[in-house]
Amino acid sequence: MNKVQILVVEDDAPVRNLITTTLKAHDYRFATAVNGNSAIMEAASHNPDIILLDLGLPDMDGVEVIERIRNWSNVPIIVISARSEDSDKIDALDAGADDYLTKPFSVDELLARLRVTRRRMALMQNSGQEAVFVNGQLRIDFALGCAYLGEEEMHLTPMEYKLLCLLARNTGKVLTHKFITRSVWGSSWKNDVGSLRVFMATLRKKLEKGEDSPQYIQTHIGIGYRMVRVE
Amino acid sequence: MEKDQKGQLKIFFSYAESIGKTAAMLKAAQGQQAQGLNVAVGCIGTRASQDVVLLLREFDRIGPADKDGLDLDQALKKRPDLILIDELACSNGQGSRHRKRYQDIDELLKSGIDVYTTVNVGNIESLHDTVADITGIRTWERIPDFVFDQADQVELIDMEPGELIERLKGSEEDSVFTMEQLTALREIALRRCADRVKRLARRQQKSGFHTDEHILVCLSSAPSNAKIIRTAARMARAFNSQFTALFVETPDFKAAAAQDRERLRENESLAEQLGANIETVYGDDVPYQIAEFARLFGITKIVLGRSAVTRKYFLGKMPLTEQLISYVPETDIHIIPDQSTDKGYRPRKAKSLQGLNVVENTAKSGCILTGATALSLGFYRLGFTEANIIMVYILGVLLTSIVTSHQIYSLVSSIASVFIFNFLFTHPRFSLVAYETGYPVTFVVLFLTAYITGTLAIRYKEQAGQSAKIAYRTKILFDTNQLLSKAGNRAEIIQAAAKQIRQLLDRNLVIFENADGHLSQPCFFGEKSSMEPSFHMDKELETANWVLKNNHMAGAGTDTLSDARYTYLALRVSDRVYGVVGIEAANGPLDAAEHGILLSILGECALSLENEKNVREKEAAAILAESEQLRANLLRTISHDLRTPLTTILGNASSLISNGYSFDKETKRQIYSDIYDDAMWLINLVENLLYATRIEGGRMSLHTSTELLSDIIEEAIKHMGRQAANRQIKVIYEDDMLLVRADAKLIVQVIANMVDNGVKYTEDGMTVTVTARKKGNMAEILVADNGNGIPDKEKERVFEKFYCGTSKIADNRRSLGLGLFLCKAIVEAHGGTIAVGDHEPKGAVFSFTLPLEEVTLYE
Repeated sequence: MNKVQILVVEDDAPVRNLITTTLKAHDYRFATAVNGNSAIMEAASHNPDIILLDLGLPDMDGVEVIERIRNWSNVPIIVISARSEDSDKIDALDAGADDYLTKPFSVDELLARLRVTRRRMALMQNSGQEAVFVNGQLRIDFALGCAYLGEEEMHLTPMEYKLLCLLARNTGKVLTHKFITRSVWGSSWKNDVGSLRVFMATLRKKLEKGEDSPQYIQTHIGIGYRMVRVE
Repeated sequence: MEKDQKGQLKIFFSYAESIGKTAAMLKAAQGQQAQGLNVAVGCIGTRASQDVVLLLREFDRIGPADKDGLDLDQALKKRPDLILIDELACSNGQGSRHRKRYQDIDELLKSGIDVYTTVNVGNIESLHDTVADITGIRTWERIPDFVFDQADQVELIDMEPGELIERLKGSEEDSVFTMEQLTALREIALRRCADRVKRLARRQQKSGFHTDEHILVCLSSAPSNAKIIRTAARMARAFNSQFTALFVETPDFKAAAAQDRERLRENESLAEQLGANIETVYGDDVPYQIAEFARLFGITKIVLGRSAVTRKYFLGKMPLTEQLISYVPETDIHIIPDQSTDKGYRPRKAKSLQGLNVVENTAKSGCILTGATALSLGFYRLGFTEANIIMVYILGVLLTSIVTSHQIYSLVSSIASVFIFNFLFTHPRFSLVAYETGYPVTFVVLFLTAYITGTLAIRYKEQAGQSAKIAYRTKILFDTNQLLSKAGNRAEIIQAAAKQIRQLLDRNLVIFENADGHLSQPCFFGEKSSMEPSFHMDKELETANWVLKNNHMAGAGTDTLSDARYTYLALRVSDRVYGVVGIEAANGPLDAAEHGILLSILGECALSLENEKNVREKEAAAILAESEQLRANLLRTISHDLRTPLTTILGNASSLISNGYSFDKETKRQIYSDIYDDAMWLINLVENLLYATRIEGGRMSLHTSTELLSDIIEEAIKHMGRQAANRQIKVIYEDDMLLVRADAKLIVQVIANMVDNGVKYTEDGMTVTVTARKKGNMAEILVADNGNGIPDKEKERVFEKFYCGTSKIADNRRSLGLGLFLCKAIVEAHGGTIAVGDHEPKGAVFSFTLPLEEVTLYE
């Protein structure tokens, strides 16, 4: 039995049904809210573990809901958006959402995202500020300032190392370009995105060697990057 | 729309004071008020009789009761249904918006308020002289005839003259008129009413209002001219004919005194008020110019004053009428007596020949005369005959007339020449006595020859000046035309017009455009320093606004808001106002000719603005039509293509609901995957449609950033449907780390569409290869399949909208035909190119290019 409590915020009944049916089938506990205000009320009163939030709500903008919830809670929020424009997702992620799903999405995808988020929660709870980060073959020793792939030490430039650490500390969370460039360069302007692409490409080449290497870093076109947990 | 809302004007008309117009008006208004109309009193004369005062109590009053005038702004604000205004012909006080009350009333009518008003027969412009002749009283309060004629209703308030005299006997104001006078006035008033009714009836009968008659009156600066104009106007009305007022500007006019110019302008505006078209021609020979004009414009009657007929001309020229008759024998000429008011009037020249000019011209004449004398003395020494000396002096006078600016110098020179010749060269020398009998003749001939030569030269010069002036104005008009036709947009049109007006008038200008019924920001043209600070007065803006709203000129030099510093004219094509032009009036008002040309320029400018607007609207409509067409095509195609997958989904789902239990596992799995596939197909369709909506006016809007090409390609392949699972998709990077400037989402769509295309037209197990490489300063992406390829004749068409190849798609499903069209639009919006070719040994290759991006690394 899953102990995880999920708040589903969705104004469209069929989609809400689809989600709740899926959650029920996989033994998640859940509560529902049909608009922004009741979502905030639910979040405050029931203290859910994960929030699934539709961005197009009748009474207020989903981004605003995120901002309001983030005032007091760090609960993981996965936004669901039917909008084709990336800017909405980016705004939501920048406002503090952890992940996103674009409608139409498959049930498998939804479950996968929930798994990722749960793992991240678990990690957050017992690791916090650990000195060593491990993900599959990747091992980062923050104290030494070194990264290893298997037994081998990775030869990273300072910038690549910085990026790797940033992604590792936020494993499972989609980091927007803006967030990354702000964190790494302290600024965010257009040319940084070009640099970021190059550094990411070289980092990935060093990290994901060979055909059968697992994928550590996902590229989210037009949005950002995410480090995924590798089994 | 405007016409429907315009208020109705009713005039209560009588032949003398104290007949009871005002009382009649108030009684009529009482009736209206009883019917529920909101009636208000605008203004009623102060010396009202007892019954009027009683009646007045029943109505609201606009503005304070003690004020005599009409508070126009208040009236426009309160907007009663009907407003009562006494004394239509009254003039407004200083500082009012309009000079005359009828202009106030016009504005009220335009804003949809009905007006009742009163007027006396003596106040009608064209009847003014007749009435004044009878009563001996001239009134300055007059209204143009059109106000009377265009009133919606005129009610004649009549009373027997005897009764009137009887009635007034008791009161303080005894009748100032005799029985005969009153009877005559009554007759005029009755006839004027009858005339108006007749004209109305005639107007209703036929739309072509004018008869074949065309009456011409000549304008002059004489005070008596006004009477002639009024007479001509009455004739024009009587004949129901066209009416033109002509001014012949002679070279002398330049030197005319200011008060003459002023009077000419007054006469012009009088003629205009009486419905005349004002025309100006230039020339020295007045009768010839009139005749030419008459012939050109088919004038049937010419009206002249008697003074023009009897005026004596130098050297016994024929009188004007005689000459006119000889030039245009087929035209009627009417001569109006006007001498009574015109005793001894002669057009005066402006007094001051400018000081500097006098000195300069005198010096020039003196020098030439001295030179001629010196030369003659030389000839005399050499023993040349007197004829040579005379020739030298004639030459001298001719030269004088050429270099000086006034006839007086050649006249003085001629006389001086005669005396010097007499003094120096005739026997006995050095005296003014001449013994030989032939000499007086010689002197006279010398004088006449010198003078006439000089006069001719001056006239020639003046005519050259005149034609230069005409040519200059023609040129300005021509240039205006050229400039305006070249101007592409509104700003350019206004620039061009402003430039031309500046060239014509050399005054400061301000132009406002009409921005949806409001004034735009003013554009100033001219010397900046001298106007902008003085301009930002509310008065100017108010005036310009008034012009915009009322489509009538106003400001300095007009009757409306005349305390503005600029004169404002509307830029209009009939009733559509495109802007307002203000012209600085600091150097006095414009003369008629300038005004005429200005109006032509403004007219052309407005026409250009209208054309520009039409073109713009047409283009917008065309674009709209095109996108409407595109949308319509899309909708048609979509609704057709949506039906197929929706039918399968619906059918499958309903059979699962109704008898899902009876299907075996395999059948169920087949149904599920069918539903899944069709849903996927729909999703792809929707994605493409979403991108199609981003095409506006044939262009796609992009949100580009620097992207790694390999990221894009991987993303595209990740999104391939289940169909692709049965094909091999191979990705080859010939060059590493290709960075492009692109809208990632759109390029993902391009690659996805191309790969999808490749998948669709190939069989299971075949390969689709995606290759990325550098090509010059572009990145090239190739998508190759080893299917059947595309026939050459179809290659050109595959990128067209809604084009679907003739070859069968593997799964028999029709494609929307939007994919490749979209690809082309997207790639071209990125500045790249798209192509299709043949793959060796078989299959098709789609390729496109994208601009590469250089990146400076920030460590």
